[in-house]
Amino acid sequence: MKSPAQLFSDFKTVMYKKYGENPGQMLVHTGVLGWILSSLAQVTAVVFNDKISPEQKTFLIPQEAADAFVNIVSFYVITSSFKNLASKLVSTGKLTTKPIREFLTKQGVTSSEHIGKLGFNIENMANFQDIKGEYKSFKNGVDVVASTVGSIISCNIVTPVLRNEYAAKQQKKAIAKMHGTDTHELKSPRGISMDTYIKLSSAKYSSGSLKI
Amino acid sequence: MALLSIKSYITNTPLYRGTASIYRGAKQKGLDVVPESVYSNDRVIKGIKKTGEKISSAEQRLILGATAIMSQPFIDWNNKNVDEKTRKVSVARTVAKIIAGTLTGYYIRKGCIKGIKALSQIPGENVPKWKTIFTPKNVKDNTSDAFIQYRNAMGTVVALVVMMFTNFLIDAPLTKFLTNTFIKHGEDKK
Repeated sequence: MKSPAQLFSDFKTVMYKKYGENPGQMLVHTGVLGWILSSLAQVTAVVFNDKISPEQKTFLIPQEAADAFVNIVSFYVITSSFKNLASKLVSTGKLTTKPIREFLTKQGVTSSEHIGKLGFNIENMANFQDIKGEYKSFKNGVDVVASTVGSIISCNIVTPVLRNEYAAKQQKKAIAKMHGTDTHELKSPRGISMDTYIKLSSAKYSSGSLKI
Repeated sequence: MALLSIKSYITNTPLYRGTASIYRGAKQKGLDVVPESVYSNDRVIKGIKKTGEKISSAEQRLILGATAIMSQPFIDWNNKNVDEKTRKVSVARTVAKIIAGTLTGYYIRKGCIKGIKALSQIPGENVPKWKTIFTPKNVKDNTSDAFIQYRNAMGTVVALVVMMFTNFLIDAPLTKFLTNTFIKHGEDKK
């Protein structure tokens, strides 16, 4: 059994090895961790809020969990896809700088056979050390740009649209329940009223996602 | 050992191999779609490299906040599932959340990264032990890119733990205050 000091030392080594040379991946992973912790905080806030009745909790907790699921999955899928595509473009030589291209040409790498092919990876080349410095700093930059663009699309466009759709459906159901109707549809085609919205939002500690 | 044989069994099943082959094909198609590009402009290359070195999670949070303020209020404003009054409250709340979340998110990340930098010095004669508490074993160079990225990553993880508390202590009350201010401001304008 390892001591806490040993475990902490191992943790530092893992962090250093895993993210030291891969800042793009660090941004994706810490972003996901951020969403998980923020969602956990929101669910906990509902669970321990005395002002919310047990009845409301049975509705709000699954709603928060579903909201968290949308946030986490959309963030991870979109951001990591952007980052992985960018990484592959650089490692297969499709996106390069002039010095890297000159190095590849010198090594006999051709566009038709190698460039942009999944089986090809610059990092596995015999003389990779000759270009490592230039390649790594360029790749890290591309990874960080791709992760940032991916997270902007995910957090600021996809997630709010999905969340609004989902929240509107859930609120309509809640109002139908509050009015004691058997149906889950709203009678009014105009959507929910201001009073109802305020009532619903005050029942929740923090509606929607609060990205930390 | 048992895990390895289970893994080997799964990866040899026709279903896994078929799926992997389809996935690989799709990935290759994705790569084929993107045209080949060789950057020769020094300023562009320098900019990309600097981004990799300088952008930590704190700057990324700031960028996310700035772009969020340009997109999310408009998405909420165009949400036709709710009435106009509701949309106004929703927009006010979204703007408040973005401001509160971005400010606390940026400063806490930045502060924690700075704190980790102070506590991850390279061991030496004049360096107290507590200043090396976050230094990984066998690291001798504190100027390498890998070590700078490690400090950013560790600072971000610590910041996320801190923000679990500040989410309730700062973000939520600040969001509530700003939302009410924006709504009141909107009503006074009428």
